[in-house]
Amino acid sequence: MRIARITACLLVILIMAFLALAGRCFYLQYCKNEFYMDRCLTQQQSRNPLTPRRGTILDNRGRVLAASNGINIIKAEPRIIENPDIVATTLAPIVEMDPHEIRTLIVESRNPGYAKIKVQADANQCTLARKIKGIGVESQWIRHYPLGRLTAHVVGFTSRDNRGLEGLELYYDNQLTGSAAQSIFLADIARRPICLNQAQGVLCDGAGIILTLDATIQQFVRSALIEQFEKYQAASAVAVVAEPKTGAILAMVSLPDFIPLEVGTTDPNNFRSRAITDWYEPGSIIKPIVMAIALDAGVLGRNEKIFCENGSYSGKGFGRIGEYRNGFGYLTPREILIKSSNIGMAKIGQKLGKKKLHDGLKRFGFGAKTGIELPGEVTGLLWPAGKWTGYSETRVPFGQEICVTAMQMVRAFCILANGGRLIQPYLVKAIVNSDGTIEDLKRPPPVGYIVKPEIARWVISDAMAAVVNEGTGKRAKLDKWQVFGKTGTANIAREDGPGYSQDDYIASFVSGAPAEDPQIVVLVSIRKPNKKLGLGYTGGVVASPVAAEIIEKTLTYLEKLRQPAYAARSGRRRSY
Amino acid sequence: MLTNAKYNQVANCTAAVVVLLMAIGTVFVFSASADIGRELNLHKFYDYPGLRQILFFPVACLVLFTAAAFDYRKLRLTNGWFKSPLPYLLLVSIALLIIVLVPSVGARINNARRWLRIAAGPFNVSFQPSELAKWVIIAFLAASLDAFGAEIRLFFKRFLPICCVVGLVVGLIVIEDVGTAALISLLAFLMLVIAGARWWHVLSPLPIAVAGFVYVLIHSPARMARISAFLNPEKWADSVGYQANQSLTALGSGGMLGKGLGGGICKYGHLPEDTTDFIFAIIGEELGFVGNAAVILLFILFMWLGILIVVRCRDRFGQLLAGGILLAIGIQAALNIGVVTVVLPTKGIPLPFVSAGGTSMLLSSAAVGILLSIARQTQPKCAEAEFAGEPAEANSARQRILITA
Repeated sequence: MRIARITACLLVILIMAFLALAGRCFYLQYCKNEFYMDRCLTQQQSRNPLTPRRGTILDNRGRVLAASNGINIIKAEPRIIENPDIVATTLAPIVEMDPHEIRTLIVESRNPGYAKIKVQADANQCTLARKIKGIGVESQWIRHYPLGRLTAHVVGFTSRDNRGLEGLELYYDNQLTGSAAQSIFLADIARRPICLNQAQGVLCDGAGIILTLDATIQQFVRSALIEQFEKYQAASAVAVVAEPKTGAILAMVSLPDFIPLEVGTTDPNNFRSRAITDWYEPGSIIKPIVMAIALDAGVLGRNEKIFCENGSYSGKGFGRIGEYRNGFGYLTPREILIKSSNIGMAKIGQKLGKKKLHDGLKRFGFGAKTGIELPGEVTGLLWPAGKWTGYSETRVPFGQEICVTAMQMVRAFCILANGGRLIQPYLVKAIVNSDGTIEDLKRPPPVGYIVKPEIARWVISDAMAAVVNEGTGKRAKLDKWQVFGKTGTANIAREDGPGYSQDDYIASFVSGAPAEDPQIVVLVSIRKPNKKLGLGYTGGVVASPVAAEIIEKTLTYLEKLRQPAYAARSGRRRSY
Repeated sequence: MLTNAKYNQVANCTAAVVVLLMAIGTVFVFSASADIGRELNLHKFYDYPGLRQILFFPVACLVLFTAAAFDYRKLRLTNGWFKSPLPYLLLVSIALLIIVLVPSVGARINNARRWLRIAAGPFNVSFQPSELAKWVIIAFLAASLDAFGAEIRLFFKRFLPICCVVGLVVGLIVIEDVGTAALISLLAFLMLVIAGARWWHVLSPLPIAVAGFVYVLIHSPARMARISAFLNPEKWADSVGYQANQSLTALGSGGMLGKGLGGGICKYGHLPEDTTDFIFAIIGEELGFVGNAAVILLFILFMWLGILIVVRCRDRFGQLLAGGILLAIGIQAALNIGVVTVVLPTKGIPLPFVSAGGTSMLLSSAAVGILLSIARQTQPKCAEAEFAGEPAEANSARQRILITA
């Protein structure tokens, strides 16, 4: 019985031990359940981010300006790989690479724990490579800009993680990005998914954007502008082509420009879309606007003769005003524009008075953003009327003491070319959501006339056409179309003191055609053409030939598009 | 005296408990062996621990009932040392233990040479000699202590030879498997105490044994690391304490009711040795505290039934043998659960009946079979009276066992 008793005692002790262990289990599983559940999820959850495809940016005829393509990257996780030699030799024939190269990649990135083996692998390579332990495949979206420099300023660019940094990419970043989702998997030790735990968000590709911009016109503009830009060794240049009836921007070029995929090595100054970010004193190109304001206000008659003081006009409160070259006697408003008389404009400014002039300019949109769909737009500078002096009253009418952007200038002349009706420049024709629904942008309806239609028409088709036919803009004359325009050669204020530099100018030409029914408005501004080259520096010499080339090519192109045969043919070609 | 074994409730309950444990084990080994990285090839089903266990389960049941039909008394040494199979079994075990140490024969699994690999057709059978040695030593100790009777108090004539045999076997095992060696030493120690060896006889080799184990521990950095990992589980969470931490994570994340049978995630590589040493953690993850408590309850029940068997047994050999078998299974189970719940440092001891492993399962069920045979032949007096009137002819000859009282 002794044996049985001791054995029974030992077994009872064991039973006690079992009960204690059950207690331990209860403690672990009931009291500390949450702690271990957390630890368990941290270890076992594997997140699979689903990145939406970034929206495509197209021009108005469907040409791709920016698009995202999916690529597969074969990567290695060096910390999982036990034997890099075996992995390298197995992987080498699949990705058609040298095994030594692969081995080096794996061994050298042991510390970061991630090695890119091959970017842009095809599907077959991925399937095969995935089977090797320690080798994974990652898909990524890569942004492409097929037209490169041509539309770089408008389209902008993205960061590596596909966030917009400039241009439309930045302005419409949210729409283009779409919404990302994430699925959280429970994974095994090799991070292979076992089952879906939860899904966060709904994957939705980014919306596409269709621009009013036409890449062909953009190309005309850029090639014409860059030729002159280089010939005159200018500091910068902008050119904008707009459709006056709608305000649609057909082309918009800023120089110097950049290659969107090489932004890392580019001077950030070149990223500026100068047509909206750079303000400058416009010089004579503002004269038609002031003229229109004065005529509209009724302070000036179309046939009124204004004495231009034979080239020197001075008085108390506004200093001395000179002409560009020769002085003039009595001039009609039309002649003032043709000869670009500063004194004539100063007198018109005095007739108008500070208030009317200021309000008129404000109505034309100076001193306010145009609202174009690009980031970084500046307001320009239009002093409030209360701050105006006698100098302002006489200088603003010929484009000093006021700063404008090229886009504001384009808008003002679109208003004139449009018979005085207010328009809003815009670049985005439509946004197409990833589900195919078109989000037509609601444009503010025209709120009315800035100037009377007949005055606008007179300024465009009479006075400004005469500038091209017989005045400073002769170089822009075309046989086929009646071009209207106005030259401008603006001084640039000195950086080191008061007054204007005598060497630096902004040569501008604002123009459009045909004068009787304007189809396009073109502004060309070339900053700091090198005077020392002896090739000239005025708006008429430097800028107007560019505008003429742009107008000729663009109108020819637009005419071709309107021909039914061509439209049908190109329509078929694009009907995929 | 004639006793009908059929209606022995203790034996039937014990068998039921063990079969239930094995069934639970088979289900969970199958669940734990899930692997998404491997395609199932049924022609090689023997390579999958989960499928192999499904094969072992009925075989183990068969072994259990076959062993139960075997009269344990044939193992006795009192009739003459060489009439019993035990000495031969002992010699075979020692031989196998030596063979497994030969580098070209013994298979290395997890850096320890504990397995014999025999390629039998499509099956790559592996066999663990230390497992056999454990049961043979228990039976041998029971038999020899029974044969020696009170003479066990004689130190040089009786006690020392027994210690030498145990020492030889333990010495051969300790080279590759300290856990099993320690378990066998502990069992031998307990059986000597039960059999009534003198305390100072039993305790005197203890310092030597302890010194030996400490020596082995210190000379094995892996084992030292395990011990220190046990003392600071969080500090070593990524290295040696990894298993322990993962085991706690699996067990603790199960909660009260678990993630559902088959719904565990830790088995997909997060918990190493999930089908063998840490199967209890998988049960905890998938069925929660309820599942764990059920398994522990079954073991408690098994121990309780064991006490009944030992107390009712009127035969010294039977008591010793039953005690040894029960202690072996109970201690193993307690140690295993202790390791899984990180009350004890990690060591490779499987959970009897539940863990994957053919050798352990088959030999354990054979041992339980012998336990059943002990139970069946020791009917209490009242039961004998109750069943005496039953018509013996109604039962088949296999179910009847003759006992000469």
